[in-house]
Amino acid sequence: MTRISLSGTTAFRLAMRYAGFVCLLTIACFAVIYWATISQLRTQIDAGLRAETSALTRLYALKGIDGLQQVIAALSTTKGLAASDTGDAGPRQYLLTDSAFKVLAGSLNRWPSGIDSNHMAWATMHIRVQHNQPGLDALHHHFELRAVAVPLPGSYHLLVGQSLDELIEMRDTILGLTIGAVLLILIVGLAGGALVGRSVVRRLQAVMHTADTIMGGDLSQRIPEEMRGDEYDALASKLNAMLARIEQLMKSTREVTENVAHDLRSPLTRLRGRAEIALMKTKDSDHQKAALQKVIEETDGIVATLNAILSIAQIESGARRDWTEVDMSVACRDAAELYEALADEKGVHFDTHITEGIKVRGNRQLLAQAIGNLLDNAIKYTGSGGDVSLSLTNEDGVVVMSVRDSGPGIPAELRDKALQRFVRLDASRSQPGSGLGLSLVKAVAEQHAATLQLEDNHPGLRVSLRFPQLNSQTSL
Amino acid sequence: MRLLIIEDDMETAADLMKGLQESGHVSEHAATGTNGLQRAKTGAYDALIVDRMLPGLDGLSLVRQLRADGINTPVLFLTALADVDDRVMGLQSGGDDYLAKPFAFAELLARVHAIARRGTQAADMILKIADLEMDRLKRNVTRASQPIALQAREFRLLEFLMLHAGQIVTRNMLLEQVWGYHFDPQTNLIDVHMSRLRSKIDKQSSHHLIHTVRGAGYCLREPERDPD
Repeated sequence: MTRISLSGTTAFRLAMRYAGFVCLLTIACFAVIYWATISQLRTQIDAGLRAETSALTRLYALKGIDGLQQVIAALSTTKGLAASDTGDAGPRQYLLTDSAFKVLAGSLNRWPSGIDSNHMAWATMHIRVQHNQPGLDALHHHFELRAVAVPLPGSYHLLVGQSLDELIEMRDTILGLTIGAVLLILIVGLAGGALVGRSVVRRLQAVMHTADTIMGGDLSQRIPEEMRGDEYDALASKLNAMLARIEQLMKSTREVTENVAHDLRSPLTRLRGRAEIALMKTKDSDHQKAALQKVIEETDGIVATLNAILSIAQIESGARRDWTEVDMSVACRDAAELYEALADEKGVHFDTHITEGIKVRGNRQLLAQAIGNLLDNAIKYTGSGGDVSLSLTNEDGVVVMSVRDSGPGIPAELRDKALQRFVRLDASRSQPGSGLGLSLVKAVAEQHAATLQLEDNHPGLRVSLRFPQLNSQTSL
Repeated sequence: MRLLIIEDDMETAADLMKGLQESGHVSEHAATGTNGLQRAKTGAYDALIVDRMLPGLDGLSLVRQLRADGINTPVLFLTALADVDDRVMGLQSGGDDYLAKPFAFAELLARVHAIARRGTQAADMILKIADLEMDRLKRNVTRASQPIALQAREFRLLEFLMLHAGQIVTRNMLLEQVWGYHFDPQTNLIDVHMSRLRSKIDKQSSHHLIHTVRGAGYCLREPERDPD
């Protein structure tokens, strides 16, 4: 049996593709958030630095270099160490130098390279600071520093900076969240795909299992339907209908084969017997001729039976689809004309009630043959002095063709049986015929979507064919 | 008549040739489609009897090629396929008649006669056999100058018999040609109709024109050839 691998299913692949798409979208979202947040923080930091610098510049103008030096020294000790404790915008770093960049006060121990000192300048740099606190070991501190340098009158240089630790922390958080979200989407997508895929595989596996059993020879198998009304049920029901049709056709083929074997055995036996008799009576050429004549008649009978079986099988398989609009009134009149002579010869009173201009869609030859068979049966089973009639009417759009006779009729309980192949209700088989006449009519009726009814004619039999309306009849 | 049988089954071909010889005809045999086509093109035959299923070149294609070459020798198809559709295809390809296997030899002979002489009288408006006359235009029939009233179908039945006067026509040929039914109704329908026609044509006359041919069908012919 064919196995479907889960990762190979369309459902799984679709789920994966969809998860990948959502991941990309998530990454794009977080990228925008990241960019917006970081630039906002940078603007805030720069604004804070600018305000601090201008405050310190004003202080220098008021109190001179000594005052500024004191303030910076004080700021450096309170804010210089652990910025996160202060609750401020972050650890600020200060540096005040003279014209020769000798440190006067501040938390940095030298003027950093890479920042211009002749006019107001901005820079971002990597700083390594060593804090020498009394009683404590030397404390090294690395950080990214955003700094602004301003020259003060009197050739002093002031630098105010802020550590970007907070910014980096924010960046790490956003990055972490992004990775987390992507992972979550991938896991959910994978699980969902697997779940959907498994359900698809399960439903299809049922179909394949049925197919395997059928290929194994059991045509009665059907695909289980789950009655959910979903597309799988729709598919299963269509496939089941197809299987039912195939099974029916196979069954009818088998029946035909069995019936051929069964029904031809007796005539073939008779044929053989007659041929033997012809051989035995070698002296009497008249008897020989008569026996050979019987052989020919028997052979004709066998061929006729074979043809009838084959044409019923052919009609049932729907092979004869050369459909046209058939004028049933004309077909009935032609058949009536042909069979009226037969009824006349047998002394059966025959009359017709044919409404003109009635048309059905179908095969003219098949319909003519069906009408012919019905008339033939009716005349055959009606004794001299009896009545046979053929009528064709349009009852509210339904075309009804019926043949009535005043013969012995068929008892209600035997009517279904009469429609089966090879069934001849008179066990003596006193009347000629293959027993296929009504089966052919039934097959023709089915192909034309017509219903075949056997009813009591009080006395006799009434056989009716009811055709659907011409416009509602689809060419099946 | 000189006939060519194109048939791959040797036994069928031998039986046919023997039967035709006994009926006073000369026949030749080709076992393949290609050979048959070659001989049909070069030889002068009154009719061809062609099997549908042939090795090399199938019957339908053979007749199509023959007709394309402008050779109009009448063709009777023999086939194991008896479907109406197959019959139509056979006739469309240029065949003149179609006979399903197994067939009665008499049926084959009657049909070969019918196709080989087709057209000799078909255009005549007045048909005349002995003292029986039919005016196809005025649609009246007289026997020894006495008018006979016929129903439309009886008229067509007699017309067909008169067009094939002297030939045997089978019940199946009548069903096909006069009633347009391509199936065997399995009853003596045609006999009943023939006996009606006969009562109208032959009843008043001492010379019977319509004859039953045992095991074959009917024949309308001049009384002097009548052995009765």
